[in-house]
Amino acid sequence: MLAVRSVTKRYGSRVTALDNVSFEVDAGQVMAVIGANGAGKTTLIKCIVGLVRFEGEVVVGGIGVSRDGRGVRRLIGYMPQDPAFHSDLSVRETALFYADLKSAPPQRARELVETVGLAAHEEKKVGELSGGMRQRLALAVTLLANPPLLVLDEPASGLDISARLELRQLVQDQRKEGKSILLSTHWLEDVPHVADSALVLNEGKTVFLGPATELAGAAAPSSRLFLRLNGKGPEAAPIIESLANGAVEDTGDWLVVSCPASRKAQIVEALVGAGIGILDFRVEEAPVDSAILQLQKSKGGRP
Amino acid sequence: MRATYAILRKELRDAVQSRWLLAFSVTFALVALALSMVQGRAGDLSEQGFNRTTAGLINLCLLLVPLLGLVLGASTIAGERDRGTLLTLHSQPISSSQLLIGKYLGLVVAVWMAIVLGFGVAGLLMAFVNPLTDIWHYALFIVLSAALATSMLSLGMLISVVSDGRLKAMALAVLAWFVLVLLYDLGAIGVALSVSSSGRSLTLAVLGNPVESVRILAVMSLEPDLQILGPLGAYLTEELGKLTSVILLSSALVAWAALPLVAAERLFRRQDL
Repeated sequence: MLAVRSVTKRYGSRVTALDNVSFEVDAGQVMAVIGANGAGKTTLIKCIVGLVRFEGEVVVGGIGVSRDGRGVRRLIGYMPQDPAFHSDLSVRETALFYADLKSAPPQRARELVETVGLAAHEEKKVGELSGGMRQRLALAVTLLANPPLLVLDEPASGLDISARLELRQLVQDQRKEGKSILLSTHWLEDVPHVADSALVLNEGKTVFLGPATELAGAAAPSSRLFLRLNGKGPEAAPIIESLANGAVEDTGDWLVVSCPASRKAQIVEALVGAGIGILDFRVEEAPVDSAILQLQKSKGGRP
Repeated sequence: MRATYAILRKELRDAVQSRWLLAFSVTFALVALALSMVQGRAGDLSEQGFNRTTAGLINLCLLLVPLLGLVLGASTIAGERDRGTLLTLHSQPISSSQLLIGKYLGLVVAVWMAIVLGFGVAGLLMAFVNPLTDIWHYALFIVLSAALATSMLSLGMLISVVSDGRLKAMALAVLAWFVLVLLYDLGAIGVALSVSSSGRSLTLAVLGNPVESVRILAVMSLEPDLQILGPLGAYLTEELGKLTSVILLSSALVAWAALPLVAAERLFRRQDL
């Protein structure tokens, strides 16, 4: 469905935003594109949608984007990182305007406004919508023409946890319908659950390309778990140390545990199983940069 | 085609909702009526007909219409760029040409509506007290105003495409207006004569400014007096004759409406978003 071949994007003679990136996404497959800010994710997506000129080749459904950008965009539903709409139009008018641009029937626009949960707000001006609502509207616009390829640039940014779960469900539903999806994300933890394959970019270069399940092992994203226990810190320490495979620090009120992200739940489960009451807990995910650094180290690359 | 039409309608809707279209229509109508009334008090209206009013309106039109066209044209793409909506629009199944032409045509229709409504309503009211013999001159003046707006919108679009923000586009539009409307007549003659004193450079100087082309065409239709035509107009009619001058000046206006738009499209297609 999507073939990206040796794509390089340079801004001027000094900045190389993308350096010889190649991959393919088959029909009905989901690929996650992961990277820190400035890694080249958005530039890659702009190349695919035909919004910037580049060296190399992008082919969508057999059509080259450099040759027929408009034809390629007929096959793509693109959701930008910060979707911007005309603030003076209402939700309904926006959906109808973009339906017109995509040659989609007006009925489809009405249905999608309802599907994304904006039916009650359809007369609201876009300028009055919250960030999450605007993201939902963008999703409706993305799906208007029922395109075979969805390109979603950081769709979870600015969404709360429940909206993220809804989005994850939506990605699954679209995949079941046979759509191919390219999903750029910061959320490394989500990747094995939503994607079949993953591409990790760092400074415009590919540092990982393979099955999403392999990425989870190679990158090993880490978390910091903050636990407030019912005074049984000394009893808890050996249990945590046996599972955490990382540092444990007692700050008095809180026990701070650094551990692989996949171990968090096991630690909590083990503590509860040992009769240690957890009064409160918080989780802090490590930024994606550190996971990518680890990935580079594990692949023998230059950190 | 459907996408271009959707963009055109959106542009027209914006013009109606932002009320600038109504404001300019009312301004044009009031100015035309006020001028007609002032000139009516100064002499016998029935003898002067529409011609006096038209002559008075030409100068005003040559100031206002270019400013309107340039500023509106300049704000369109640059404004979308500032709001971030250009990326959203461009990521739809629409080409750069369709987007640009849709926006341009939407603005052209809106400005034509403002001009025809404003001067048209005033013309109808004036027709009750003026003899209708000269009404064709007034109608031609409306057509020339619309033609001038069309070419200025095209230049405005080019400014909009090369500007990275609305503020810069506005500044460039005002600068272009200042040069074309206020500085050109003297500056062009000076430059043309200093480069070469041949008739060719003077002709090029006339054709190089749509405001000057419209001014000469309007004056020629009313009163082809050599003094009123100005140095460039006088040279043109004396050397080439009236018919050739009209054809040449009209062609120049068409070129001014087309060439900046073509250049804008070429540049816009090559831009990264």
